[in-house]
Amino acid sequence: MATNPGKLLQSSRRDFLKGTAAVATILIAPGIFLYKTGQAAAGLEREARWGMLIDTNALSEADVDACVSACQREHGWQTAEGSRTDAQWVRKLRLEEPETGHQKFLPMMCQHCESPPCVDVCPTGASFKRADGIVLVDRHTCIGCRYCMMACPYKARSFIHENLKDQLPVAPRGKGTVESCTMCVHRVDRDGADAVPACAEAVNRNDSKAILFGNLNDPQSEISRRLRELGGTRLRADMGLNPGVRYQGL
Amino acid sequence: MQSSIRYAEIRTSSPGYWGILIALFAVALLGVAGAHHMDVEGHHVSGMSNQIVWGLPHVFAIFLIVAASGALNIASLASVFARQDYKPLARFSAILSVALLVGGLAILLLDLGRPERLIVAMTQYNFKSIFAWNIILYTGFVVIVVAYLWLMMERRMQRWSKPAGLVAFLWRLVLTTGTGSIFGFLVAREAFDSALLAPLFIIMSFAFGLAIFILLLMLSFWLDQRELDGSHLQRLRKLLGIFIAAVLYFVVVFHLTKLYGTQNHGFERFILMDGGIYTTLFWLVQIGLGSLLPLALIYAPPLQDSAKSLVAACLLVIVGAFAQLYIIIIGGQAYPLNIFPGYIVASSFFDGVVAEYTPSLWEFLLGFGGLTAALLIAMLVLRVLPIMPEALRAESG
Amino acid sequence: MPMLKSKLRFAMLVCVLGLLPGAPGAAEQARSQFGNIAIPDPAKPLSADKCVEPVEIMRRDHMEFLLHQRDETVIDGERGSKYSLVGCMNCHNPAGADGKVVRYEDPQHFCAECHAYASVRIDCFECHADRGLLQSQQGRLDMHAPAWKASAAVPPTSTLQRRLGTVDGD
Repeated sequence: MATNPGKLLQSSRRDFLKGTAAVATILIAPGIFLYKTGQAAAGLEREARWGMLIDTNALSEADVDACVSACQREHGWQTAEGSRTDAQWVRKLRLEEPETGHQKFLPMMCQHCESPPCVDVCPTGASFKRADGIVLVDRHTCIGCRYCMMACPYKARSFIHENLKDQLPVAPRGKGTVESCTMCVHRVDRDGADAVPACAEAVNRNDSKAILFGNLNDPQSEISRRLRELGGTRLRADMGLNPGVRYQGL
Repeated sequence: MQSSIRYAEIRTSSPGYWGILIALFAVALLGVAGAHHMDVEGHHVSGMSNQIVWGLPHVFAIFLIVAASGALNIASLASVFARQDYKPLARFSAILSVALLVGGLAILLLDLGRPERLIVAMTQYNFKSIFAWNIILYTGFVVIVVAYLWLMMERRMQRWSKPAGLVAFLWRLVLTTGTGSIFGFLVAREAFDSALLAPLFIIMSFAFGLAIFILLLMLSFWLDQRELDGSHLQRLRKLLGIFIAAVLYFVVVFHLTKLYGTQNHGFERFILMDGGIYTTLFWLVQIGLGSLLPLALIYAPPLQDSAKSLVAACLLVIVGAFAQLYIIIIGGQAYPLNIFPGYIVASSFFDGVVAEYTPSLWEFLLGFGGLTAALLIAMLVLRVLPIMPEALRAESG
Repeated sequence: MPMLKSKLRFAMLVCVLGLLPGAPGAAEQARSQFGNIAIPDPAKPLSADKCVEPVEIMRRDHMEFLLHQRDETVIDGERGSKYSLVGCMNCHNPAGADGKVVRYEDPQHFCAECHAYASVRIDCFECHADRGLLQSQQGRLDMHAPAWKASAAVPPTSTLQRRLGTVDGD
């Protein structure tokens, strides 16, 4: 290497003219550029509203543990026992009825609200809702103020308290920003309505779908049909946020 | 009459003065070091966590921001409410409010997870966020008050200082409303979610800002050996007494309102009865030391003319202020969210339990660093600009 | 990221200024300005025949490509872009069969070498993987695998590509 110091700067006159034209295009044609972006965006399904239906009656404690570890494997986060600062994209909640002692377990994560308070309070707009209803943090513009964590009624978000190494390519995450469940957005972008989030994959066996992913806007989808037949509970329904995650058996 | 006021820079070169400046500078520097450590290592070196996401730095920052708007009151009294007796102190009032705000904002900025992205916060706004509005309100406040100060100091421009004072006064009311609403708009948490927080913060700003104002006024006059007649202090003393009582009134109304609704009994029980540190801070520090004792010091007949009792009252108000903000900010987060009413909830994420919080050294450094930076800015401006009147003599008329 | 953005802007400005003199001697001039400092020529362990764009264009505009692609992916869910950072790393810094990887902290990392030379600090790798997919991750995460590999189908022309007038090739 370094045998040809001029290599980087060697460019023919034609290349140079092309480069100048390119730069000029960037400078003078942002309008055209915007117009074309509008056409090009083809990634997500704008008509969809993705949601998940969680049947707590079909979930054992071990199942919920499996959800959590599947999410950890998928996105590369860990939680040390008793740590107050480690991230938890999804957590196992144990609910106990005080009178009867009856217990149930459920996975708790971002509820992907239709009117998310985290999005309302975020000063930079880093916390946002995709056109298909998935609530995400754009870590490129998150300044780490944690106001969204103050606003979230579900305690669904975590702040990254330390330097990270060896993040997974599908889940870039780093110190000083906030994160939460993405509904496995990388799978959703790949598989659309057929997507199976990692937590669902971990607990669904054969035909039983304890965690059902689907399009709430499509009346024909399985999730819509099941909600129609059996109903589903919205957590903190009193707040009117219309979460995309619904529970059965509560 | 006003034209007879003569202002002068602080000229003292006493070791005490330089000692104070050096001490302030040193602590401010330590604050930068603390912030840098948290930035490099990440917030795990602080006591903050996924449960207590805003900690001691925010207590300091909110204190300074609230006190900043309150410190402007003296100038407003002179410009907006035409109280000529406050006119000589209007300049100092303006400078102190800017200095306190800058100190508070520095803390908020340095505590961010990604402080180097300040430019994002300054260029990309989500206008539904009260936080975004506050960024505009805070920067606007600095610009307006600096302009107001200039109009007051430039003889040819003095007639414009009245309208500028009015703008500054209205702006500071909006600003403190915005600060209170950072918490008031948090509908998900029982501790916040109250329109009362905005006016409570405004009245808190009156008391906190005036307490700091009085202390620094007395300190700088004493350092520069200027004449400060008791009548001026007497006026400020009465004002402070009214403000303390007003804060107390709002606190009572706030808790009574919460107590009336059964769903808030758990939270009120937590703050008022069995919240451990928060209950102690509330009754002992905020109410006892921070409200009742200063009221006694201010109004008790044998102490009426004592400058020492006024200093003590001011210091106690500040101590009480920190306790109050600690309870509001940290106590409000420590109390668990009630996602499943009627169930006993448990998880590895501390659902259903009161969150623990022990501030770390770094947070203390950052907090005190911002506080001292604010005081340092104020002291330095007093040295380079004719802010303080040469003397506050007994009033003849 | 705005840090990165502004620095990249600056770097671009430098590039543009370098081009602006317009005279045929511009390159000559620039070279003599840099004197005898060796310009980095990082190793390129390519697993594809060629890069997504001609080398000259990549050197000058890779930051624009990445920033643009970044927003399209995060906000609009476009995953197949040929400008994906994972795609860059898969080719330019693949994980070795023995599991050894070159980290961004290592001076010979594909990105680090030039960025150290140009004194442009980037924070991409505080969050993003600084190496290609590990063996164990391939397949499972193949939505990020570069679709434009020599044999694979040509991906849809990106807006940026059109914007830069590089569609037609040479």
